[in-house]
Amino acid sequence: MDRGQNTGGLMSSAGLVRYFDSEDSNAIRIDPKTVIAFGVLLGVFVQLLTFVS
Amino acid sequence: MGWKEAAEPVLTRMPTVTRPDGHVPFKKKLGWTAGILVLYFFLTNITLLGIHPQGGEDLFGQFRSILAGEHGSLMQVGIGPIVTASIVLQLLGGANLLGLDTDDPRDQVLYQGLQKLLVIVMTALTALPMVFAGGFLPPADVLQLGSLTFVGTQIQTLMFIQIFIGGVLILYMDEVVSKWGVGSGVGLFIIAGVSQLLVSGFLSMSDEGFFYSWYQILFTNEVTAGSWLSREGFNTLFIADGGGQLLALATTLLIFGIVVYAESVRVEIPLSHARVKGARGRFPVKLIYASVLPMILVRAVQANIQFMGQILNSQWANMPAWLGEYSDGQVVGGFFYYTAPIYSPNDWMWWTGQVPAGIEVWQIFLRISVDLTFMVIGGAIFAIFWVETTNMGPKATAQQIQNSGMQIPGFRQNAGVVEKVMERYIPQVTVIGGALVGLLAVWANMLGTIGAVDGTGLLLAVSITYKLYEEIAEEQLMEMHPMMRQMFGKG
Repeated sequence: MDRGQNTGGLMSSAGLVRYFDSEDSNAIRIDPKTVIAFGVLLGVFVQLLTFVS
Repeated sequence: MGWKEAAEPVLTRMPTVTRPDGHVPFKKKLGWTAGILVLYFFLTNITLLGIHPQGGEDLFGQFRSILAGEHGSLMQVGIGPIVTASIVLQLLGGANLLGLDTDDPRDQVLYQGLQKLLVIVMTALTALPMVFAGGFLPPADVLQLGSLTFVGTQIQTLMFIQIFIGGVLILYMDEVVSKWGVGSGVGLFIIAGVSQLLVSGFLSMSDEGFFYSWYQILFTNEVTAGSWLSREGFNTLFIADGGGQLLALATTLLIFGIVVYAESVRVEIPLSHARVKGARGRFPVKLIYASVLPMILVRAVQANIQFMGQILNSQWANMPAWLGEYSDGQVVGGFFYYTAPIYSPNDWMWWTGQVPAGIEVWQIFLRISVDLTFMVIGGAIFAIFWVETTNMGPKATAQQIQNSGMQIPGFRQNAGVVEKVMERYIPQVTVIGGALVGLLAVWANMLGTIGAVDGTGLLLAVSITYKLYEEIAEEQLMEMHPMMRQMFGKG
C-alpha cells in the first residue's frame, strides 16, 4: 500500500504541503504544543514591545 | 554525486512536527484544528512592531483572500510562500526534473525537506521586497525600546525578522493541522479569511453591508433606487457598490450551488473483490478530480506577475508605458494591465462608469481574454501536474486498486489492465475539470460576491469546506466503527 499521505483509501491530497509517514531519525522533532506555545508567546511579546515603545 | 547526496545532510535535518503515535480521536483532532485557528486569528491581530501608523499599501492587494494572512500583522505573508514553493515543486516534479520517487521512503524524506527549505527561502524572498521596496510597509520615523533607539533601516530589519518568523510559523501551523487536525492549515486559513469577509459583507453596518443597504433602500431615503425598470434603478439594485448587490448575492449563492454540484459529478468505475464474492465498491473519478487547489497555483502565478509590476513601479521611476502605467497604486495600462486578472465587476463593467478613466472597451476585452486563456489553460496544466505529483494518476491508482485486492469486473486482475481502463478516464477528466474550474474562477471574479470576497477565493473556500465535510464524515464513521479504520488502512 502506498504509505504516503493518501493512505486514507483512495482520496485526493488535502493540502498544498505534502507530509509523508517516513521521517529521518536525524530530523529535529517539534511537539505540536511547542508550535502553539511559540505562536502565543511571539504574539504577546510583539504586542508588549509595541506597548512599551 | 547527484544533488540528492549533496543536499541530503541539510534536507533530512529540517525540523518537523512529531507525528501522533497511532490514531488521534476525532475530538482531539477538532481541538488541534480549533487551537490553530484561534492562534491564527490572534496573530492576524498583532500589528508589526515598528510599522508606520499609516500602514502603507498591501502588496498582495486583491490576492489577499486567496493568500490569507493580514496586511501589517505578523501574518503578513500569509500562505504566499507555501503557494510559491508549491508552484516550483509542481513544475519541477511535473516535468520530472527532481528525480524523486515519492514511493521510496528515502526520497519522501528528501521531498519533505526540500519542500520545507523552499518555503523558508520563499518566505524570505517575499518578505524582503515587502519591507525594503517602497511604500508597502513603511517604517515608523523612530522606534524607542527602553534605552535603545531604532531608525530607518534598523526598523525595517526588525520588521523583516518579525515577518519572517511569522511566515515560518505559518508553515509549522499548517504541519500541525495536517498531522494532528482535520484537513490542512492552508485550507483552514483560506476558509477563515473568506468567511470573515463574507459574514461582515452580510452584517456590516456600513454601505457595504448587504442587510444594511437593503434597510436603507426600503426604509430610508439614503439610497434611492428610482424605478425598478429604469437603467439607474437596475444598476443600483444589482451592481453598484453600496446598492442592493443582488448580482453579488446571486453569484455568491450560485458559487455554493455549482461547487457542491460539481463535487458530486463523477464517473464511477465498478470494482469487485477478487476473493470475497459480493464485496463490491466503486472508484469515483470526480469531475474536479484534481481538486481546486491547483487553481491557487494559477492565480498565484498571476499574483507574482502583478507583484513584480508593483515592485518595479516603486523602484523604477521611468518605467516605459508599454510595460505598465500606474495611477493611485492601480495598474491602468501596459503589459501589467493586460496580465492582471479581473478582480471585480468594477474592472470591466464599462457602462457603470466605475472603470478607471481612459480605458477603452477593447482594452477591457483584451484583458478579459488574456485572463480567461491564462486560467483555462493554466488550470488544465496545473491539474495535470497536481494529479501526477500527488499519486492520483492512472498508474498509481491502478496499483492502489490492485493492492487492495479489488478488480474491475470483466477484466483480468492485473495492474496493467486496470491502468488501461483508468487511462480512458483520468487524463480527460483531469483536463476538463481543471479548465472548468479556471472558467468558473474567472466568471466568479467578474460578477463579484457579497463582502467583495474575491470570487476565486470564495470558490476555493466552498470547495475546501466541502472536502473538509467529507473528511469529517469519514472520521466519524471510523470513530463509530473501529473496524473501518483497518479497511481504510489507517493504523
